[in-house]
Amino acid sequence: MQVRVEVRSMTSDQLASFRQAVTASMGISDDRGYSAWAGIHGLPLPISCQHGNPLFLPWHRAYLYLFEKSLQDQVAGVTLPWWDWTSTASHTQGVPDSYTDTSADNPLQSATVAISASDIEQLRTSFPGVMSDGDNPVTVRDPDVPDALPRAATIDSILDAPTFEDFSNRLENVHNDVHVWVGGSMSIIPIAAFDPVFWAHHAMIDRLWYVWQMRHPNVSVPAPLLNSALDPFPLTVSQVLDISQLGYEYAVAAIT
Amino acid sequence: MATATDMKAGKRDGILVAPLQFKGQRFTRADLVFTGVDHSGGSYEVLVFLNNPRATDTTAHDAEHGYGGRFVIFGHGGCYGDVGHCDVPTQRAFGDLRPPHHLTPTTKIVTITAALQHVMATNRDGLKTVTLVPVAVTPRRKDRAVTAELFRFDDMSLRTYLAGTDRDLPATPG
Repeated sequence: MQVRVEVRSMTSDQLASFRQAVTASMGISDDRGYSAWAGIHGLPLPISCQHGNPLFLPWHRAYLYLFEKSLQDQVAGVTLPWWDWTSTASHTQGVPDSYTDTSADNPLQSATVAISASDIEQLRTSFPGVMSDGDNPVTVRDPDVPDALPRAATIDSILDAPTFEDFSNRLENVHNDVHVWVGGSMSIIPIAAFDPVFWAHHAMIDRLWYVWQMRHPNVSVPAPLLNSALDPFPLTVSQVLDISQLGYEYAVAAIT
Repeated sequence: MATATDMKAGKRDGILVAPLQFKGQRFTRADLVFTGVDHSGGSYEVLVFLNNPRATDTTAHDAEHGYGGRFVIFGHGGCYGDVGHCDVPTQRAFGDLRPPHHLTPTTKIVTITAALQHVMATNRDGLKTVTLVPVAVTPRRKDRAVTAELFRFDDMSLRTYLAGTDRDLPATPG
Protein backbone atom coordinates (compact mmCIF):
# COMPACT_ATOMS: atom_id res chain seq x y z
CA MET A 1 0.00 0.00 0.00
CA GLN A 2 1.38 3.41 -1.00
CA VAL A 3 1.05 6.20 1.58
CA ARG A 4 0.37 9.86 0.76
CA VAL A 5 1.79 12.14 3.45
CA GLU A 6 1.25 15.79 4.30
CA VAL A 7 3.64 18.07 2.40
CA ARG A 8 5.29 19.52 5.49
CA SER A 9 5.74 16.05 6.99
CA MET A 10 7.68 14.61 4.09
CA THR A 11 11.16 13.40 4.86
CA SER A 12 13.96 14.96 2.87
CA ASP A 13 14.31 11.70 0.96
CA GLN A 14 10.60 11.61 0.14
CA LEU A 15 10.65 15.20 -1.05
CA ALA A 16 13.76 14.58 -3.14
CA SER A 17 12.20 11.52 -4.78
CA PHE A 18 8.97 13.37 -5.47
CA ARG A 19 10.83 16.28 -7.03
CA GLN A 20 12.87 13.83 -9.09
CA ALA A 21 9.69 12.22 -10.40
CA VAL A 22 8.05 15.56 -11.24
CA THR A 23 11.23 16.77 -12.96
CA ALA A 24 11.37 13.61 -15.03
CA SER A 25 7.69 13.94 -15.91
CA MET A 26 8.17 17.55 -16.98
CA GLY A 27 10.93 16.38 -19.29
CA ILE A 28 8.61 14.09 -21.23
CA SER A 29 6.85 15.80 -24.11
CA ASP A 30 4.51 12.99 -25.11
CA ASP A 31 1.29 11.84 -23.48
CA ARG A 32 3.11 10.32 -20.50
CA GLY A 33 4.49 13.67 -19.39
CA TYR A 34 3.47 16.39 -16.97
CA SER A 35 2.10 18.79 -19.58
CA ALA A 36 -0.17 16.14 -21.06
CA TRP A 37 -1.55 15.27 -17.63
CA ALA A 38 -2.05 18.91 -16.66
CA GLY A 39 -3.78 19.55 -19.98
CA ILE A 40 -6.45 16.94 -19.33
CA HIS A 41 -7.97 19.14 -16.63
CA GLY A 42 -8.23 22.27 -18.79
CA LEU A 43 -6.58 23.46 -21.97
CA PRO A 44 -5.81 22.30 -24.58
CA LEU A 45 -9.36 21.30 -25.49
CA PRO A 46 -11.25 19.30 -24.51
CA ILE A 47 -11.58 20.57 -20.97
CA SER A 48 -12.38 17.36 -19.16
CA CYS A 49 -12.55 18.24 -15.47
CA GLN A 50 -15.84 17.91 -13.62
CA HIS A 51 -16.98 20.76 -11.41
CA GLY A 52 -20.33 21.85 -10.04
CA ASN A 53 -21.80 18.37 -10.21
CA PRO A 54 -21.58 15.09 -8.24
CA LEU A 55 -18.72 13.77 -10.38
CA PHE A 56 -16.39 16.41 -8.91
CA LEU A 57 -14.87 14.13 -6.24
CA PRO A 58 -14.70 10.82 -8.15
CA TRP A 59 -13.35 12.45 -11.32
CA HIS A 60 -10.50 14.14 -9.47
CA ARG A 61 -9.73 10.95 -7.52
CA ALA A 62 -9.27 9.09 -10.79
CA TYR A 63 -7.19 11.98 -12.17
CA LEU A 64 -4.80 12.01 -9.21
CA TYR A 65 -4.54 8.22 -9.15
CA LEU A 66 -3.50 8.02 -12.80
CA PHE A 67 -1.14 10.99 -12.60
CA GLU A 68 0.47 9.45 -9.53
CA LYS A 69 0.91 6.21 -11.45
CA SER A 70 2.66 8.16 -14.21
CA LEU A 71 5.05 9.61 -11.62
CA GLN A 72 5.71 6.15 -10.24
CA ASP A 73 6.74 5.11 -13.75
CA GLN A 74 9.55 7.63 -13.35
CA VAL A 75 10.50 6.99 -9.72
CA ALA A 76 9.12 3.86 -8.12
CA GLY A 77 7.21 4.35 -4.90
CA VAL A 78 6.64 8.11 -5.00
CA THR A 79 3.24 9.38 -3.92
CA LEU A 80 1.44 12.68 -4.18
CA PRO A 81 1.74 14.72 -0.98
CA TRP A 82 -1.32 16.51 0.37
CA TRP A 83 -1.31 20.12 1.50
CA ASP A 84 -3.15 20.69 4.75
CA TRP A 85 -4.23 24.29 4.22
CA THR A 86 -6.06 24.23 7.57
CA SER A 87 -2.87 23.66 9.57
CA THR A 88 -1.27 26.24 11.82
CA ALA A 89 1.78 26.21 9.57
CA SER A 90 -0.34 26.99 6.50
CA HIS A 91 -2.19 29.76 8.33
CA THR A 92 1.19 31.25 9.19
CA GLN A 93 3.23 30.63 6.04
CA GLY A 94 0.69 29.94 3.28
CA VAL A 95 1.94 27.76 0.45
CA PRO A 96 4.50 25.24 1.77
CA ASP A 97 8.17 26.14 1.38
CA SER A 98 8.80 23.09 -0.75
CA TYR A 99 6.50 24.65 -3.38
CA THR A 100 7.87 28.19 -3.14
CA ASP A 101 11.58 27.43 -2.98
CA THR A 102 13.08 29.35 -5.90
CA SER A 103 16.02 27.03 -6.42
CA ALA A 104 16.53 26.27 -10.08
CA ASP A 105 16.15 22.54 -9.45
CA ASN A 106 12.77 22.82 -7.69
CA PRO A 107 10.05 21.69 -10.14
CA LEU A 108 7.28 22.47 -7.63
CA GLN A 109 7.49 26.26 -7.86
CA SER A 110 6.08 26.58 -11.38
CA ALA A 111 5.61 24.74 -14.64
CA THR A 112 5.48 25.54 -18.33
CA VAL A 113 1.99 26.38 -19.55
CA ALA A 114 2.00 24.07 -22.55
CA ILE A 115 -0.96 25.29 -24.58
CA SER A 116 -1.35 26.84 -28.02
CA ALA A 117 -0.25 30.38 -28.82
CA SER A 118 -3.85 31.40 -29.54
CA ASP A 119 -5.03 30.06 -26.18
CA ILE A 120 -2.18 31.88 -24.43
CA GLU A 121 -3.17 35.11 -26.15
CA GLN A 122 -6.84 34.71 -25.24
CA LEU A 123 -6.02 33.94 -21.60
CA ARG A 124 -3.61 36.85 -21.27
CA THR A 125 -6.19 39.22 -22.75
CA SER A 126 -9.06 38.01 -20.58
CA PHE A 127 -7.11 37.32 -17.40
CA PRO A 128 -4.04 39.51 -16.92
CA GLY A 129 -1.55 37.92 -14.57
CA VAL A 130 -2.70 34.37 -15.19
CA MET A 131 0.77 33.30 -16.37
CA SER A 132 4.21 34.82 -16.79
CA ASP A 133 5.00 37.20 -19.62
CA GLY A 134 7.07 36.39 -22.69
CA ASP A 135 7.59 33.27 -24.71
CA ASN A 136 7.22 29.86 -23.04
CA PRO A 137 5.12 31.18 -20.14
CA VAL A 138 5.12 29.46 -16.79
CA THR A 139 2.56 29.30 -14.01
CA VAL A 140 2.44 32.10 -11.43
CA ARG A 141 0.77 32.64 -8.03
CA ASP A 142 -0.57 35.65 -6.17
CA PRO A 143 -1.64 34.23 -2.81
CA ASP A 144 -3.84 35.95 -0.26
CA VAL A 145 -2.78 36.34 3.37
CA PRO A 146 -2.20 32.91 4.99
CA ASP A 147 -4.86 33.30 7.64
CA ALA A 148 -7.54 33.63 4.95
CA LEU A 149 -7.17 29.93 4.12
CA PRO A 150 -10.06 27.66 5.18
CA ARG A 151 -10.19 26.78 8.85
CA ALA A 152 -10.30 23.38 10.52
CA ALA A 153 -13.63 24.25 12.14
CA THR A 154 -15.16 24.78 8.70
CA ILE A 155 -13.88 21.40 7.54
CA ASP A 156 -15.12 19.69 10.72
CA SER A 157 -18.58 21.04 10.00
CA ILE A 158 -18.45 19.84 6.39
CA LEU A 159 -17.33 16.37 7.49
CA ASP A 160 -20.62 16.11 9.39
CA ALA A 161 -22.62 16.46 6.16
CA PRO A 162 -25.12 13.61 6.17
CA THR A 163 -25.31 12.97 2.42
CA PHE A 164 -22.76 12.71 -0.38
CA GLU A 165 -24.42 15.52 -2.34
CA ASP A 166 -24.34 17.88 0.64
CA PHE A 167 -20.74 16.96 1.44
CA SER A 168 -19.56 17.27 -2.16
CA ASN A 169 -21.26 20.62 -2.69
CA ARG A 170 -19.84 22.13 0.48
CA LEU A 171 -16.35 20.70 0.03
CA GLU A 172 -16.25 21.91 -3.56
CA ASN A 173 -16.91 25.43 -2.34
CA VAL A 174 -13.86 25.21 -0.05
CA HIS A 175 -11.89 23.73 -2.94
CA ASN A 176 -12.86 26.71 -5.11
CA ASP A 177 -11.85 29.04 -2.31
CA VAL A 178 -8.31 27.61 -2.13
CA HIS A 179 -7.92 27.83 -5.90
CA VAL A 180 -8.64 31.56 -5.87
CA TRP A 181 -6.68 32.01 -2.64
CA VAL A 182 -3.55 30.82 -4.49
CA GLY A 183 -4.43 33.16 -7.35
CA GLY A 184 -2.53 33.41 -10.63
CA SER A 185 -2.72 30.27 -12.76
CA MET A 186 -4.62 28.35 -10.08
CA SER A 187 -7.51 30.81 -10.14
CA ILE A 188 -9.23 29.62 -13.32
CA ILE A 189 -9.91 26.18 -14.75
CA PRO A 190 -8.08 26.33 -18.12
CA ILE A 191 -4.53 26.19 -16.72
CA ALA A 192 -4.92 25.51 -12.98
CA ALA A 193 -3.53 21.98 -13.19
CA PHE A 194 -0.26 23.17 -14.66
CA ASP A 195 0.66 24.69 -11.27
CA PRO A 196 2.40 21.92 -9.28
CA VAL A 197 0.56 22.94 -6.10
CA PHE A 198 -2.70 21.91 -7.82
CA TRP A 199 -1.93 18.25 -7.10
CA ALA A 200 -1.18 18.82 -3.41
CA HIS A 201 -4.38 20.84 -3.06
CA HIS A 202 -6.45 18.13 -4.71
CA ALA A 203 -4.80 15.40 -2.67
CA MET A 204 -6.09 17.30 0.40
CA ILE A 205 -9.58 17.36 -1.13
CA ASP A 206 -9.35 13.64 -1.92
CA ARG A 207 -8.16 12.93 1.61
CA LEU A 208 -11.12 14.83 3.07
CA TRP A 209 -13.50 12.73 0.96
CA TYR A 210 -11.73 9.64 2.33
CA VAL A 211 -12.13 10.94 5.90
CA TRP A 212 -15.83 11.62 5.25
CA GLN A 213 -16.21 8.11 3.87
CA MET A 214 -14.67 6.70 7.04
CA ARG A 215 -17.05 8.73 9.19
CA HIS A 216 -20.10 7.78 7.15
CA PRO A 217 -19.51 4.15 6.20
CA ASN A 218 -23.16 3.56 5.37
CA VAL A 219 -23.53 6.53 3.03
CA SER A 220 -22.27 6.47 -0.53
CA VAL A 221 -22.71 8.26 -3.79
CA PRO A 222 -26.20 8.07 -5.30
CA ALA A 223 -26.74 4.72 -7.01
CA PRO A 224 -27.40 6.21 -10.48
CA LEU A 225 -23.87 7.64 -10.44
CA LEU A 226 -22.05 4.40 -9.71
CA ASN A 227 -21.64 3.30 -13.30
CA SER A 228 -20.88 6.76 -14.63
CA ALA A 229 -17.71 6.91 -16.71
CA LEU A 230 -15.00 9.31 -15.58
CA ASP A 231 -14.10 10.50 -19.04
CA PRO A 232 -11.37 10.34 -20.39
CA PHE A 233 -10.17 7.84 -17.80
CA PRO A 234 -10.90 4.10 -18.09
CA LEU A 235 -12.65 4.11 -14.74
CA THR A 236 -16.17 4.42 -13.37
CA VAL A 237 -17.32 6.05 -10.15
CA SER A 238 -17.72 2.71 -8.40
CA GLN A 239 -14.11 1.82 -9.21
CA VAL A 240 -12.72 4.79 -7.30
CA LEU A 241 -14.85 4.70 -4.17
CA ASP A 242 -12.45 2.56 -2.13
CA ILE A 243 -8.92 3.95 -2.08
CA SER A 244 -7.57 0.69 -0.65
CA GLN A 245 -8.58 -0.88 -3.96
CA LEU A 246 -6.56 1.81 -5.69
CA GLY A 247 -3.55 0.90 -3.58
CA TYR A 248 -3.01 4.01 -1.53
CA GLU A 249 -3.65 5.38 1.94
CA TYR A 250 -3.33 8.71 3.73
CA ALA A 251 -1.06 9.44 6.69
CA VAL A 252 -0.57 12.59 8.71
CA ALA A 253 3.13 12.10 9.22
CA ALA A 254 5.92 10.67 7.17
CA ILE A 255 6.64 6.98 7.43
CA THR A 256 10.30 6.61 8.27
CA MET B 1 -37.96 32.40 -3.31
CA ALA B 2 -36.58 35.36 -5.22
CA THR B 3 -35.71 35.20 -8.91
CA ALA B 4 -32.92 37.15 -10.52
CA THR B 5 -35.46 39.59 -11.93
CA ASP B 6 -36.73 40.40 -8.43
CA MET B 7 -33.39 41.90 -7.46
CA LYS B 8 -32.95 45.59 -6.78
CA ALA B 9 -29.73 47.50 -7.24
CA GLY B 10 -27.52 47.72 -4.20
CA LYS B 11 -25.24 50.46 -3.04
CA ARG B 12 -22.85 49.99 -5.96
CA ASP B 13 -23.11 48.73 -9.51
CA GLY B 14 -23.25 44.94 -9.51
CA ILE B 15 -24.58 44.54 -5.97
CA LEU B 16 -28.03 42.97 -5.77
CA VAL B 17 -30.64 43.28 -3.03
CA ALA B 18 -33.32 40.60 -2.94
CA PRO B 19 -36.59 40.90 -1.08
CA LEU B 20 -36.74 37.64 0.87
CA GLN B 21 -39.04 37.54 3.87
CA PHE B 22 -38.84 35.08 6.73
CA LYS B 23 -40.59 35.68 10.00
CA GLY B 24 -39.51 32.68 11.85
CA GLN B 25 -40.33 29.12 12.45
CA ARG B 26 -37.89 27.21 14.62
CA PHE B 27 -34.94 25.82 12.68
CA THR B 28 -31.60 24.20 13.31
CA ARG B 29 -30.15 24.82 9.87
CA ALA B 30 -30.82 27.42 7.22
CA ASP B 31 -29.48 27.40 3.67
CA LEU B 32 -29.67 29.91 0.89
CA VAL B 33 -29.90 27.90 -2.31
CA PHE B 34 -28.94 29.48 -5.63
CA THR B 35 -29.96 27.62 -8.80
CA GLY B 36 -28.89 28.11 -12.37
CA VAL B 37 -25.58 29.67 -11.38
CA ASP B 38 -23.32 30.46 -14.32
CA HIS B 39 -19.69 29.34 -14.19
CA SER B 40 -18.63 29.84 -17.79
CA GLY B 41 -16.49 32.94 -17.32
CA GLY B 42 -13.91 34.09 -14.80
CA SER B 43 -13.87 33.02 -11.17
CA TYR B 44 -15.91 35.02 -8.69
CA GLU B 45 -17.25 34.98 -5.17
CA VAL B 46 -20.61 36.14 -3.88
CA LEU B 47 -20.80 37.61 -0.38
CA VAL B 48 -24.17 37.26 1.36
CA PHE B 49 -25.54 39.78 3.86
CA LEU B 50 -28.89 39.60 5.66
CA ASN B 51 -30.95 42.75 6.29
CA ASN B 52 -28.11 44.97 5.16
CA PRO B 53 -29.02 46.51 1.79
CA ARG B 54 -26.07 48.90 1.99
CA ALA B 55 -23.48 46.13 2.21
CA THR B 56 -20.49 46.20 -0.13
CA ASP B 57 -17.29 44.22 -0.60
CA THR B 58 -15.70 46.17 2.25
CA THR B 59 -18.46 45.51 4.80
CA ALA B 60 -17.26 43.59 7.84
CA HIS B 61 -17.88 39.85 7.90
CA ASP B 62 -19.67 39.73 11.24
CA ALA B 63 -23.12 39.25 12.70
CA GLU B 64 -23.56 42.95 13.41
CA HIS B 65 -23.38 43.65 9.67
CA GLY B 66 -25.53 40.68 8.73
CA TYR B 67 -22.78 38.64 7.11
CA GLY B 68 -24.14 35.20 6.26
CA GLY B 69 -21.31 33.59 4.29
CA ARG B 70 -20.09 33.33 0.73
CA PHE B 71 -19.70 30.98 -2.17
CA VAL B 72 -16.94 30.83 -4.73
CA ILE B 73 -17.22 29.91 -8.40
CA PHE B 74 -14.10 28.38 -9.98
CA GLY B 75 -14.58 29.75 -13.45
CA HIS B 76 -14.36 27.89 -16.73
CA GLY B 77 -12.54 30.93 -18.06
CA GLY B 78 -14.37 31.58 -21.30
CA CYS B 79 -14.73 29.62 -24.50
CA TYR B 80 -11.74 28.27 -26.43
CA GLY B 81 -13.60 26.48 -29.21
CA ASP B 82 -15.35 27.56 -32.35
CA VAL B 83 -18.73 29.27 -32.44
CA GLY B 84 -21.26 27.20 -30.51
CA HIS B 85 -18.71 25.12 -28.61
CA CYS B 86 -19.81 26.44 -25.25
CA ASP B 87 -23.53 26.70 -25.95
CA VAL B 88 -25.34 24.59 -23.37
CA PRO B 89 -28.02 22.42 -25.02
CA THR B 90 -31.46 23.44 -23.81
CA GLN B 91 -32.66 19.85 -23.89
CA ARG B 92 -31.58 16.44 -25.03
CA ALA B 93 -33.74 13.64 -26.33
CA PHE B 94 -34.70 10.75 -24.09
CA GLY B 95 -32.08 8.06 -24.49
CA ASP B 96 -29.24 10.47 -25.26
CA LEU B 97 -26.50 9.00 -23.07
CA ARG B 98 -24.06 11.84 -23.40
CA PRO B 99 -23.19 13.43 -20.06
CA PRO B 100 -24.46 16.92 -19.24
CA HIS B 101 -22.66 19.78 -20.95
CA HIS B 102 -19.72 21.05 -18.89
CA LEU B 103 -21.23 24.49 -18.64
CA THR B 104 -24.62 23.38 -17.39
CA PRO B 105 -25.44 25.97 -14.71
CA THR B 106 -24.82 24.73 -11.20
CA THR B 107 -26.45 24.99 -7.77
CA LYS B 108 -24.67 26.71 -4.89
CA ILE B 109 -25.63 26.56 -1.23
CA VAL B 110 -24.64 28.99 1.51
CA THR B 111 -25.42 27.81 5.01
CA ILE B 112 -26.54 30.87 6.96
CA THR B 113 -27.84 29.26 10.14
CA ALA B 114 -26.01 31.40 12.69
CA ALA B 115 -26.57 34.63 10.78
CA LEU B 116 -30.29 33.99 10.37
CA GLN B 117 -30.64 33.02 14.01
CA HIS B 118 -29.01 36.34 14.90
CA VAL B 119 -31.43 38.20 12.62
CA MET B 120 -34.42 36.46 14.16
CA ALA B 121 -33.17 37.27 17.66
CA THR B 122 -32.54 40.94 16.99
CA ASN B 123 -35.23 41.98 14.46
CA ARG B 124 -38.93 41.87 15.27
CA ASP B 125 -39.77 41.74 11.56
CA GLY B 126 -37.35 38.92 10.86
CA LEU B 127 -35.53 38.61 7.57
CA LYS B 128 -36.50 41.17 4.95
CA THR B 129 -33.64 41.38 2.45
CA VAL B 130 -30.64 39.45 1.26
CA THR B 131 -27.82 41.44 -0.30
CA LEU B 132 -25.53 39.70 -2.78
CA VAL B 133 -22.11 41.21 -3.45
CA PRO B 134 -20.38 39.53 -6.44
CA VAL B 135 -16.62 40.05 -6.59
CA ALA B 136 -14.42 38.98 -9.51
CA VAL B 137 -11.58 36.89 -8.11
CA THR B 138 -9.06 37.57 -10.84
CA PRO B 139 -5.59 35.98 -11.15
CA ARG B 140 -4.03 39.23 -9.92
CA ARG B 141 -5.23 40.12 -6.45
CA LYS B 142 -4.99 43.86 -7.16
CA ASP B 143 -7.58 43.55 -9.97
CA ARG B 144 -10.30 42.08 -7.74
CA ALA B 145 -13.43 44.20 -7.54
CA VAL B 146 -17.21 44.11 -7.40
CA THR B 147 -18.51 43.01 -10.77
CA ALA B 148 -21.83 43.22 -12.55
CA GLU B 149 -20.76 40.83 -15.30
CA LEU B 150 -20.08 37.37 -13.93
CA PHE B 151 -22.87 36.47 -11.50
CA ARG B 152 -25.89 35.17 -13.41
CA PHE B 153 -28.40 32.81 -11.82
CA ASP B 154 -32.05 31.77 -11.98
CA ASP B 155 -33.32 32.10 -8.43
CA MET B 156 -32.47 32.09 -4.74
CA SER B 157 -34.53 30.41 -2.03
CA LEU B 158 -34.29 29.96 1.71
CA ARG B 159 -34.51 26.44 3.07
CA THR B 160 -34.77 25.85 6.79
CA TYR B 161 -34.46 22.52 8.55
CA LEU B 162 -35.42 21.30 11.99
CA ALA B 163 -33.11 18.48 12.94
CA GLY B 164 -33.50 16.09 15.82
CA THR B 165 -29.82 16.11 16.66
CA ASP B 166 -26.96 18.59 16.80
CA ARG B 167 -25.35 17.25 13.63
CA ASP B 168 -26.95 19.86 11.40
CA LEU B 169 -26.03 22.80 13.56
CA PRO B 170 -24.54 25.81 11.81
CA ALA B 171 -21.51 25.69 9.64
CA THR B 172 -18.99 28.36 10.43
CA PRO B 173 -19.15 30.87 7.58
CA GLY B 174 -16.00 30.59 5.51
